[in-house]
Amino acid sequence: MRHSRIVALAAVLATAALTAMLALQGAGGRDAGAVVRYEYESKYFKIRVVDYPDEGRRCLHFSRSRGVQSSMFLDDPVKLDLRYSKTMMAALALKPEAKDLLLVGLGGASIPKFIQKHFPDLRMDIVELDPDVVRVCQEYFAFKGTPNTRVVVMDGRMYFKRAEKKYDVILLDAYAADHIPFHLTTREFIALVKDRLKPGGLVASNLWEHVVNRFYHAELKTFQEAFPQVYLLPAGTSGNIIVFGSAETDPVSREEWVRRARAVARGRDLGFDLGDLVGEEYRYYTDRPNAEKALTDDMAPIDTMRREHPKFFPGTGPDSGQEEPAAP
Amino acid sequence: MIRTVILAAVFLAGAALMSLEMASFRLVQPEFGSDIVVWGSLISVFLGGLAIGAYLGGRLADRGPAMWKLALVLAVAGVVTLTLPLYAGAVLDWMYPGEGAPLPAEWDRAGGGASGDQLAVYEPPDLRWPVLGAGLLLFAGPSILLGMVTPYSARLLIRSIPSLGRGVGQVSAVSTVGSILGTLATAFYLVAWMGTRWLLAANGLVLLGLGVMLALAHLAARRTPQKV
Repeated sequence: MRHSRIVALAAVLATAALTAMLALQGAGGRDAGAVVRYEYESKYFKIRVVDYPDEGRRCLHFSRSRGVQSSMFLDDPVKLDLRYSKTMMAALALKPEAKDLLLVGLGGASIPKFIQKHFPDLRMDIVELDPDVVRVCQEYFAFKGTPNTRVVVMDGRMYFKRAEKKYDVILLDAYAADHIPFHLTTREFIALVKDRLKPGGLVASNLWEHVVNRFYHAELKTFQEAFPQVYLLPAGTSGNIIVFGSAETDPVSREEWVRRARAVARGRDLGFDLGDLVGEEYRYYTDRPNAEKALTDDMAPIDTMRREHPKFFPGTGPDSGQEEPAAP
Repeated sequence: MIRTVILAAVFLAGAALMSLEMASFRLVQPEFGSDIVVWGSLISVFLGGLAIGAYLGGRLADRGPAMWKLALVLAVAGVVTLTLPLYAGAVLDWMYPGEGAPLPAEWDRAGGGASGDQLAVYEPPDLRWPVLGAGLLLFAGPSILLGMVTPYSARLLIRSIPSLGRGVGQVSAVSTVGSILGTLATAFYLVAWMGTRWLLAANGLVLLGLGVMLALAHLAARRTPQKV
């Protein structure tokens, strides 16, 4: 008797839980009308290519995460969509004379396609961990080869350790679905990256901001230790912040960077106002006080952290950095 | 009393074994990446060590079981673990897959990237043998020694054939529960709290301490004979 009552109660609870789960799943309005074009369990990720016909977009997702690895306009595969990818292009405004560029983390190839079209003279090497991501980019995201494009399928850190080539600009954009590989965040890693820079070279790295990233300031500390010049450009309200570490001795002012960005946007016909992205968000971070310790190979618990809902990590308010470099 | 001491040693040795396995991932990832090949290689090294250790430990146990021998096994495992950080870097460097297809710097000399739309893709080096090699050199020793603990302890604890099943089951269960807690404690707290080198050192100290504890228990038992 008692047994059957327990079974009945369990059944009711299970049904309720299932209903709630289904309701929550359907709650994302974005999924209405979404078409899964391709799903594949690769060695590293669960790769999903999803079309959102109402928005005219195709997105790349990893695992079940709603997080967008990459987003493409179906009618214009080369145009940049995600705000952070536009903000990263500010690196090419800071180093307009760059000839060699390295990108770590292919994603949906939106940055490589944009560079191939607007900076065809730039020699670009791309390091990507997962060979299936390279294949999916070719099959679903209109990514093609050019004489100046080369892809290395390898762990980012292994590449830096083996590489002989030096670069003017290095872009770091390597994330899994909801965590950061710890060995790409440490002081030892940034030292390897810095070693692959030409004199005066520039590194730009895509970070999660402090609201969702307990180790945000620790990540910035590695840049402050390694580079004479550090700048931040928050990518709007996306939760991404691009940190720029430059080996140049003199800081670049907001006005100067905006001027170069406008010149590049015009000269290269970028299709968006790169100058505004720089002008609105510019933060000079080089000598900003930062009490955190830099992450090291020995101590980098960053991968024990998942990208959390902001309510779990109430921040201490927006991190403003310094508005301008301190007067010399 | 002695029974409790031996079971505590089995428990903590099980915990230390899995804590070491988690630490091994942490130690190898910066050099070889977080590839599934890396985890698979390291896990199989530990399982292989356990198998060899169980075989050797069982044979040793039948040749005059004595608590001081178990103490020695644990103490040696502790010392080996404590010294790991001293040579881990050199072993990883030595096993590093330096050979492979040319990287982009050499592609320039070879004539460069793609022809037409074809994407120029460099394929990665094979990580399987380098990681297995590094894993064996670093962790075969401790895992063989820790693999000896369970059969040896069973031999010390079990006094009659009719209680054989219960005794073996008890030792296995205690060891496995220790392993679970060692895994969870390391993954949830210890890696973030003490970092990789201190994690190795702490495991080494725990194992060395267990060896000393068993040796003391052995001496105490000799002085006052009692029922195990």
